[in-house]
Amino acid sequence: MSNWIARGLRRGILTTSYPRRDDAMPPTYRGRASVTSDDDAASLERGAAACLSAAIRVDGTAILAERCFQCGECARAAPSAFATTNDHELATVGDADVDAARERLRKRAAAFGGSVHLRHVDCGSDASTEQELQAIFNPFYDVNRLGIFMTATPRHADILVASGVVTHAMIEPLRRAFEAMPEPKIVVALGSAACSGTIYEEGAVAGAVDRFLPVEVKIPGTPPAPLTIIHGLWVALGRATARRGVRDL
Amino acid sequence: MIANLRADEAAELATLKVRDGARFLWLFCERVGDATIARYVVDRQGRLESFEGVATPGTRSLSKDVPASRWYEQEARYRYGVDFGGPSDEPSIVKAPEADAERMRRALGDEVSTVLYGPIRSGIVESACWVIETAGEDFICVHPSMFFKHRGLEKRFEGVRLELAPLIAEHVSGVTPSSHATAFCRTVEAALGIDVPKRARAARAILVELERIHQHLDSLAKLADDGSLSVGSALTFAAKERVHRMLCDATGHRFARGSICIGGVREDVFSSLSQSAVRMLDDVEREALSALEGLFGTQSLMDRLVGTGRLSQRTVSDYGGVGPVARGSGVVNDARLTDGWLYTRLEAEEARETEGDALARARVRETEIRRSFQHVRNMLDAAPAGPYRTKLSEGSLRGEAAAFGRVESPQGELIYFVRYHNGLHRVAIRSASFANWPLFVPSLPGNIFTDFSFIEHSFGLVQAETDR
Repeated sequence: MSNWIARGLRRGILTTSYPRRDDAMPPTYRGRASVTSDDDAASLERGAAACLSAAIRVDGTAILAERCFQCGECARAAPSAFATTNDHELATVGDADVDAARERLRKRAAAFGGSVHLRHVDCGSDASTEQELQAIFNPFYDVNRLGIFMTATPRHADILVASGVVTHAMIEPLRRAFEAMPEPKIVVALGSAACSGTIYEEGAVAGAVDRFLPVEVKIPGTPPAPLTIIHGLWVALGRATARRGVRDL
Repeated sequence: MIANLRADEAAELATLKVRDGARFLWLFCERVGDATIARYVVDRQGRLESFEGVATPGTRSLSKDVPASRWYEQEARYRYGVDFGGPSDEPSIVKAPEADAERMRRALGDEVSTVLYGPIRSGIVESACWVIETAGEDFICVHPSMFFKHRGLEKRFEGVRLELAPLIAEHVSGVTPSSHATAFCRTVEAALGIDVPKRARAARAILVELERIHQHLDSLAKLADDGSLSVGSALTFAAKERVHRMLCDATGHRFARGSICIGGVREDVFSSLSQSAVRMLDDVEREALSALEGLFGTQSLMDRLVGTGRLSQRTVSDYGGVGPVARGSGVVNDARLTDGWLYTRLEAEEARETEGDALARARVRETEIRRSFQHVRNMLDAAPAGPYRTKLSEGSLRGEAAAFGRVESPQGELIYFVRYHNGLHRVAIRSASFANWPLFVPSLPGNIFTDFSFIEHSFGLVQAETDR
């Protein structure tokens, strides 16, 4: 018989203090891709041509985090114009005024009290987003300490976490899950595919989550790292400020 | 390209091979002009052989002689409208338990009820649906309803620049991207005659073995969670987390995406892997094995796994099972054997169990985790020198060719087919999860409702790669 108490204690504390204290991804992590120099039009074009998800704006001035699936091809194709950093706080809101968005979300989340229940719906993911969402409950991140829990039924849920690009077959189940949730509720799109549809072809899939539900917060990443997810949930609860995102991708 | 045979004749040839001891692998279709070509693929002593023919109305169904073909025929009928005779609304992907189910339905009469389970289920799971016939607690028959997650990925490859195409393969299953990218690249390399340096082959093999470790840990941690073993599950998930951190250090991505390209690997993954592995591998291994030792030493968990979801050797070979599911029932097929290097028959046999239950499949995973750690270490010790990538010359990218490629993914044998015509013309994928779903159906009758998640997690399949 295993002595699980001893086994558990022997490990000591592994858990991060994030988001109350800073934590970082390793320096090698390709979190955010960005344009470092727009001097050379040819480099910008080369980078844009290497982007399968059209995340680089045609004028080459910005990379849309919600469309980026973190492959790093732009920086490989044109290192003089593009670079990736290990930034993991990628969440965005659609509002022009991000502080007002934070205040609005904070007020809505006040109804949840200290504990928030998530209902996850897989709309057509590549399976990695689910494993990273699962990972926020492992001892390294343990979001129960932040009052975040999973719930089996949408009736008990405060936040709907939708992962993956929405396939035709999942439109209806997704809508029904949303409708079954009591007010107030918040919808979060988890992963770049859910935020924008990334590489998936129009027609083959139905599109990003915000075509079907009122998405408040987008959490980019393919898949988003556990720290990215925690940050995004913190944004959804009005406890962190997000960047301004681009909607109607 | 128009085939010289009719699909009937191709099917006949495949059947003859199967009677002769070959293993049925795959049936898939390709549209050429107005015609639909059906392609039957078998494995004969480690070599892939394929037979193609034009599908005609009333193409002979193989499912009587070769039960493994049944699921593929259903997909061909559904996606390509191939007419295999017989009714098109057959309820089950597997014939075997139907007769028993019918008997039980008759005996139990009104007590049988039908439950729809999915596509959204409790917990953090992928979308899939089961129609469950039950009389209270027992499963009588289960009909899977899948492809909720169909994303048109095979089609997405067409016309994409070759150097970016492996990134699409990584979307087929985001949890085993190295297996998919390697299988896809091997296929293209075989079609175009591109030579891959030894250092790149070793780097790919390391990535695939690390993938096997984190996916097997995932499956075992979920089993522990099903058995309400929260500390055991937490420690196993923690070990998995360490593998992701090691990969992130070495490759810049927690699942090592974007590491593999046609002709080799994108960057010298080998040296970055060996640097982080030197620091971390021992710790990761110690944590993982200690957690597993705890799991297998906990009687309450073992009690839930023993005899649960049993599959006979006969059923597994009839329905073409692969990977840990097959090895748990004593059927050993392992695509690593056909690599022709690194991996020996002896090692493949080592992970073989005969009980065919959820415990046997869990033990297979445990053995494979140990073995994969050794493999990674051996490959790092014997680091092949030289380049990590073959530069593709413009000339090598012209022309017309077709090829198959295989990789032993964590879920089992993964096969890609690529037809190349001055670019990617048709890509078809036979994933291990797709091959194993038909076995899920006969594993359930005789078990009760609460066994469902144990059986599901002992299979450890990925819905995303099934639905594509």
